[in-house]
Amino acid sequence: MENPSSGIRGAIEENTLAILDASEATKHTRDADDDRIAFLEAVRAASLLPENKSPPTFKMCEAIFKILRFGKSLELISTSYQLLNELDRRFPRVYVTNANGSSMSHELVVLQEAWTPFVLGTDISDSERATNDLTGGLLDPLGFHLLLQGLAEVSDVENFQALDTKVLSNMLLFHYLVSVLEGDFVPRNQMYKETLNWILVRESLLNMILCSRKMNFKGLMKDCLTTLCGLGHFLAEYDNAVRFSETSLVKQPEAIDTALAIAFLHFGRIACDAMLKLMVMVMELDSSKKDADMQGHTTRADGVRTPLAEIIQDELTYDKNILSPFLQVFKDSKWKLEIIVQFFWKYISKPSVRTRRSNGPAEDATFSRVLKCISNSSSTKSITKKIGAHAIHLLLAHGFQAFLLLSAKQTVEGLPDSKEQVAGGSIVETCKNLISVFNCLKTLDKQLEISSCAKEAIFVAATIMSKKL
Amino acid sequence: MEMDGPLDFESEDPLLSSPVTLKKRKKIIGLDDLLTDHYKDKCKLVEKESKQAKKKKNYDSDDDDFGKEAVVSQVVDECQNKMNQLGGEEDTSIWGLNVFGEQRPPPALQSQELESCHFLQTFLNNEVNSLLNLTVEKGDAFLEGLLVNGWLSTLVSLTGRAEKSLAVWTFNLMLYSSREDLRTSACDFWRDVMLTTNEVEQQHLQIDWFPNYAQLGEALESYGYRFECSLNPGFVHTGSGRGEPPQNIRAWIKFITICCQTKIKNNIFTSSEVEQLAEAIICLFLDRQFQGITMLLCECLQSLINYFTDEEWKACCENIAKSLVCRIPMDLNCLRAVECISGVDPRSKYLRSTIAYQILLLCFENEATNEEEVLRVLTSITVKDKSCDLFKLYIYLVLTENWLVGSRMLEGKPLICEMWGLFLRNCSCQIASTDLRSYASKVRNKASYILQSSFDE
Repeated sequence: MENPSSGIRGAIEENTLAILDASEATKHTRDADDDRIAFLEAVRAASLLPENKSPPTFKMCEAIFKILRFGKSLELISTSYQLLNELDRRFPRVYVTNANGSSMSHELVVLQEAWTPFVLGTDISDSERATNDLTGGLLDPLGFHLLLQGLAEVSDVENFQALDTKVLSNMLLFHYLVSVLEGDFVPRNQMYKETLNWILVRESLLNMILCSRKMNFKGLMKDCLTTLCGLGHFLAEYDNAVRFSETSLVKQPEAIDTALAIAFLHFGRIACDAMLKLMVMVMELDSSKKDADMQGHTTRADGVRTPLAEIIQDELTYDKNILSPFLQVFKDSKWKLEIIVQFFWKYISKPSVRTRRSNGPAEDATFSRVLKCISNSSSTKSITKKIGAHAIHLLLAHGFQAFLLLSAKQTVEGLPDSKEQVAGGSIVETCKNLISVFNCLKTLDKQLEISSCAKEAIFVAATIMSKKL
Repeated sequence: MEMDGPLDFESEDPLLSSPVTLKKRKKIIGLDDLLTDHYKDKCKLVEKESKQAKKKKNYDSDDDDFGKEAVVSQVVDECQNKMNQLGGEEDTSIWGLNVFGEQRPPPALQSQELESCHFLQTFLNNEVNSLLNLTVEKGDAFLEGLLVNGWLSTLVSLTGRAEKSLAVWTFNLMLYSSREDLRTSACDFWRDVMLTTNEVEQQHLQIDWFPNYAQLGEALESYGYRFECSLNPGFVHTGSGRGEPPQNIRAWIKFITICCQTKIKNNIFTSSEVEQLAEAIICLFLDRQFQGITMLLCECLQSLINYFTDEEWKACCENIAKSLVCRIPMDLNCLRAVECISGVDPRSKYLRSTIAYQILLLCFENEATNEEEVLRVLTSITVKDKSCDLFKLYIYLVLTENWLVGSRMLEGKPLICEMWGLFLRNCSCQIASTDLRSYASKVRNKASYILQSSFDE
């Protein structure tokens, strides 16, 4: 099936790729790199600048992507990354239309033939992965996991000294891949919520990658968690006063160093945001899947996996050291609050026998209820014993912050939908309860040193109350 | 470039502008193809002739083997020299300017007494303070914690007010702190406060202090940015700290973007201030130190050019272009200055085109003062001439493309169209593929690429 414009597109493809053909694909000489830049500029000029824009062809996309993956100069990787993002914004693969302009008739449009950087279904052997010739640089689920693990190494300070463009291109690559997943998943999930058609979500790239036989889901999610914490912590600690170039083993011209340093801090933040976005998407996918499960729409083929929120809770329980860095960098207030509330709920002695499936997360738990449950001296005592004073301070402070952000968001977005009621309770009341919990903790242990983040939470609570909101 | 419409310089052709059937149109394009074929054949013929001439020369002049060998080795030597020359030349032809000089000490901060911060004061008298034991002395460190952990913007949006002392304090941290966590958190704070999407909040949010252009310019100057002086090529910085801006520059760029996007306060900048900022951002594009954050620069430039009103836009755009082109050298840097502009929307297309045109005017300062004259100078260049500077020609070619194509500049100007077409054909057909001069192949390829993509339409 040829579309009418394929003749023109074919000619553009031939012309632009001719720019690249002049240089050998594997060379990294100045000339070859100049040609690559010229190619990117030409693709941009042909696809984005004309009035009637048309997307680049498969081969062109693949060539751009290859430059991002294997490019050795900062100019190449950032130009190709920018072009890929611009193209995706202009030519989305999946989108929701508003057919008649009325809000009732949404329709999901999926361009099946559109190019994606992922290969699914076909296996890539290790040798192919090494040469990257047959795959055209595309990634399979395992390749995606390897990339993510590579990022974890970046946050290792020892390795940071040997900073090179490979690290930087991996950060951009990861960010780009996640935004491809996002562009595919978000409209599908939005449509699922309206139509309850599980197939839409089942066929999303994200779900197919997670369901892949080669993918170790739990491993991937744990790697996400460690990378997010490590990278976030590293970036927060970075200080101009300590210049990494001074300790660098590789001698490089100064200007390159500044260019890399400026890029590193920016890309690091981008990669962190992408990691967070990926985790939030997985949690949204989990919740849609659970929903579909209840409706009986899923089949055996959908498989069973532990929801990410539970994996995170387990990790936090076993390793209290990651609690603080995790809460620092995990900035999505909805899921943060959910995780914190469920974490507490596990340790709170429930007053009544629950009739729901007792192994699933409690549906009726809210932050306000948690505060109420632990604000009498006996329950405070027992929960301090179970979780530890420091962890309680952290959890309460971050839970409170997520609560505030979420309530602010809910008032903006109008009527809260029933599922979003995690926030629960009024702001002033919650402020009051938070302070009374800390008063309880203080009366239990007169020597108690309140941690700095809890102090900040108390300060904010008291200030809000004094404004009588 | 339009893909489906007729060739740019054909748009005035009466045959084309009249409604014709698809078949007929194809025939006409067929004629165009014949024309290109004709030109191509001509080119080949010229090449062949020159080759034959060379061959003849060789055979005629030398009979004995020794002579031949001498000539061959001489030719090889010449080639070698030329290659070396080429290599040497190309090393200098890389974009990159020293946009930054030495850093200066940050301007004396108008330090507001943080102790006077209202909600800190109120809290000290609050009974809840018995839990915290907060004192005035610990106030600064405590506020830093509030900022880094993201409490401050929540507090401001819930209480509806950003006090002057807080605003000044966070502004200074953002632009001058050496700690990454402080400067990014301070920047996030301003973003959260200024880009709030809550309309109710927007109306009630009271920000007691706003930075102005002078303070932002002062910051950029202290980073070492050279205002209003011509910039010299350079991509290797020697000596430590010279020509390297601090990392705060990222926050500075983001803050400018925020100032242009916010709806909380109108007219933070005057239009001439925005002109200067836009010029500065384009200059940053030209410094190789920023190649990693071109996304930030793009977003910033886009916000800046959208800040103008429709009435002032064209005049302001010309001002930006005029003052920019005086500062940059006429080499690959001026191409970079044009191509860094996104060109996706009408305004940035217009800016691209205007800057390209202003550079061309400056190149032909004594020869051309209007569009027609510029093109006349271009078409009068004899590309075959050995003394013709092909590097310059390449720059003219790319600039002219950016000036004319895609910006509606060609609409209703048949003469300009015709001359542009002639210039392209000169460049693509009159330079032989055997031409060894540096940039010969770049000019030829570029011109035939533009021609080709026009003919494909």
